[in-house]
Amino acid sequence: METLRNRPAETAVKMRNRAWRLPSRRQLAGLFFVLPAVTFTLLFFIIPLLMTIWMSLHDWPLIGTPSFIGSGNYDTLAADRQFWTSLGFTIRYTLLVTPPIFILAFVLALLVNLPLRGVGLFRTAYFIPVVIGLGASSLLWVWLLNDRVGPFNTILRQLNLLQGSLVWLGSFDTALFAIIVSVVWKTVGFTMVLLLTGMQAIPQEIYQAAMVDGASYLGRLRHITLPLLRPTIALALVLSVIGSFLAFDQFYIMTRGGPRNQTITVVYWIFNNSFTYFKMGYGAALSLVLMGFLVILSMLQLRLLHREISY
Amino acid sequence: MKRLSRHARIIAVLAILLATLALSLPSSAQEPVTIAFWSRDSAAALVQSLADAWNATHDNQIEVTLIPAAEYITKLGTAIAAGEPPDLLAIDLIYVPQFAAAGQLTEISELAAGLPFFDTLSPSHIRLATYEDGLYALPFNAEASVLLYNKDLFRQAGLDPEQPPTNWQEIYDAAVAISALGEDIDGFYFSGACAGCNAFTFLPLIWASGGDVLNEDATEATLTDPMVKAALEFYRQMWTEGLMPETALVDAGAEFLSAFFSGKIGMMGSGAFSISTLKNEHPEIDFGITFLPGKEGGVSSFAGGDSIGIPAGSKYPEEAFEFIEWVLSDEVQLEMFARTASLPVRTDLAENKYFEEDPRLITNAQAMALGRTPYSLVYNQLFNDSNGPWLAMIQQAVFDGQIDEAIANAQQQFTEIMAQVQD
Repeated sequence: METLRNRPAETAVKMRNRAWRLPSRRQLAGLFFVLPAVTFTLLFFIIPLLMTIWMSLHDWPLIGTPSFIGSGNYDTLAADRQFWTSLGFTIRYTLLVTPPIFILAFVLALLVNLPLRGVGLFRTAYFIPVVIGLGASSLLWVWLLNDRVGPFNTILRQLNLLQGSLVWLGSFDTALFAIIVSVVWKTVGFTMVLLLTGMQAIPQEIYQAAMVDGASYLGRLRHITLPLLRPTIALALVLSVIGSFLAFDQFYIMTRGGPRNQTITVVYWIFNNSFTYFKMGYGAALSLVLMGFLVILSMLQLRLLHREISY
Repeated sequence: MKRLSRHARIIAVLAILLATLALSLPSSAQEPVTIAFWSRDSAAALVQSLADAWNATHDNQIEVTLIPAAEYITKLGTAIAAGEPPDLLAIDLIYVPQFAAAGQLTEISELAAGLPFFDTLSPSHIRLATYEDGLYALPFNAEASVLLYNKDLFRQAGLDPEQPPTNWQEIYDAAVAISALGEDIDGFYFSGACAGCNAFTFLPLIWASGGDVLNEDATEATLTDPMVKAALEFYRQMWTEGLMPETALVDAGAEFLSAFFSGKIGMMGSGAFSISTLKNEHPEIDFGITFLPGKEGGVSSFAGGDSIGIPAGSKYPEEAFEFIEWVLSDEVQLEMFARTASLPVRTDLAENKYFEEDPRLITNAQAMALGRTPYSLVYNQLFNDSNGPWLAMIQQAVFDGQIDEAIANAQQQFTEIMAQVQD
């Protein structure tokens, strides 16, 4: 992408003209090499996407016969209070969960990047929750938070921080807090590894030069690590934001969208419409709107964070 | 890369694909068949024992798949949409209209009419299994909601265990007396985050008081009925006065019965299944069964349970019907249902030698006979959806105390959902 953008316009024109001639043997080989990727994208992205668009134009029950309704689903969507509430909640959740994941991951990455003995052990420990399935980890947290048998309440009571029992998932604030903690625990290792890879890719010579000039640790962090890490930070943030926007499992398992339907995310609402209310067509329309929203959001994020790097 | 080897590889891949296809083609069905039977897991014990008994005596085999109750309809809908329905299925009677209307069940009117005991089959099951004059399922098991109470706690609280409550005031008084027994003992329980549980146990309180949430032909919502408000106020009072445990707030049904097993709950709405479970697994708990009462008296019940039917894509519809006929026979109804304290689905067998030994089963069978069942194509969306208007109303009213607002919201959402099917 980078190279294409920088190429002078005439080269692009030449390239386009060349496409009309018979492809050379060398170009055929090239095509052959990209064929698996193209097939894969076509089969698992383009075709399902086209099918989703087609479905979204129908009243398409999970069981029964579809009928064409044009933009009907999109009209419903515009007036669907729960969708807009869910979108608002999902944005709120993303805004709340992204900073702790990122800041904690950054600090952890700095720590496990130190040349200490046994640091590998810590790297592994922080990464372990990432390999647990989200469903399994959510169930684990349901038990941890249980007001009668869960260890959290017992510990809090023994520390005299809690009288009686606290039903964590019973009210909106504590439920959201509990889910955010569980998600940070679950995903921080992944962001940490991403940032760590970026940090290790920064040439040591730059740090050495800065040290010769008398730059402090914080100075090096601010003027070398952070700027040179920007592409990695962009990647980590985009992945984290997309992940949060698509949140479903933890809410489905831990709160079932409750209390009072306050924790229904957009994907949860898509799931409910498609598989509980059997409205596949409407679910498709919701998915497409969410996808459009995510594409715009990711483009904005990348534009803000992914500028050219100059040494 | 060499040309030949590339071609050879492609041919090899194609050969493997063809071989896989050839293997998956159905072989000729002369020998005994295996009938795939799906059921929700709440009926696990009954379903498994039926399948075992059938398999031991028949050539055709029943292969049971149990699916968690809360996921059942989603799983089934997805399987049908994927073109892979089971050959036979048990389904909450409440969903039969929806699946029949979508053309997903085989009409069995003629086969059923040939059954000698057809006229004795549970009337509410038959009514729900009828769609536009066709019959699409038969009764499989029966459930009726009742009030379950702990006789030991009644005695300790100085109440007469043989005189259970007959109206809301008496439930409230008993709950106060039992809650006073200790900090960890509560007078009343309900699963506050379980939509279906509360259709089963809360609706009868309204019905018994002369109220209803849907009009006669289920075309309009009537949540503004004063008895709906009264019932919500009744629960709200017990909640604010601490007569229910805090866990009620988040129980999505997982502790529907286990809360009672602890022996620390005085009363709760439950069903026939709790009798067999309690008798078999918790013989130490001395429990009683009575009807769910109305505000000033009167009784009602939710007549539930599963119906059994043959999906439209079943591979073995005839063999599947043989199993249905066997399940409904005298011997199976008495020896496999009544003997294990499950309600028979034939009214002529409601009184039997096994039930005479336990009056609690008779009470439950009577509740079944007077029970009601809403008939709606959008039942799931109205009542059973964890994020639906029914549960939202109960939570907002009971836990937040916003009773009028809760009712207004639910009335509006019920109306919107019901309008979708009437277009």
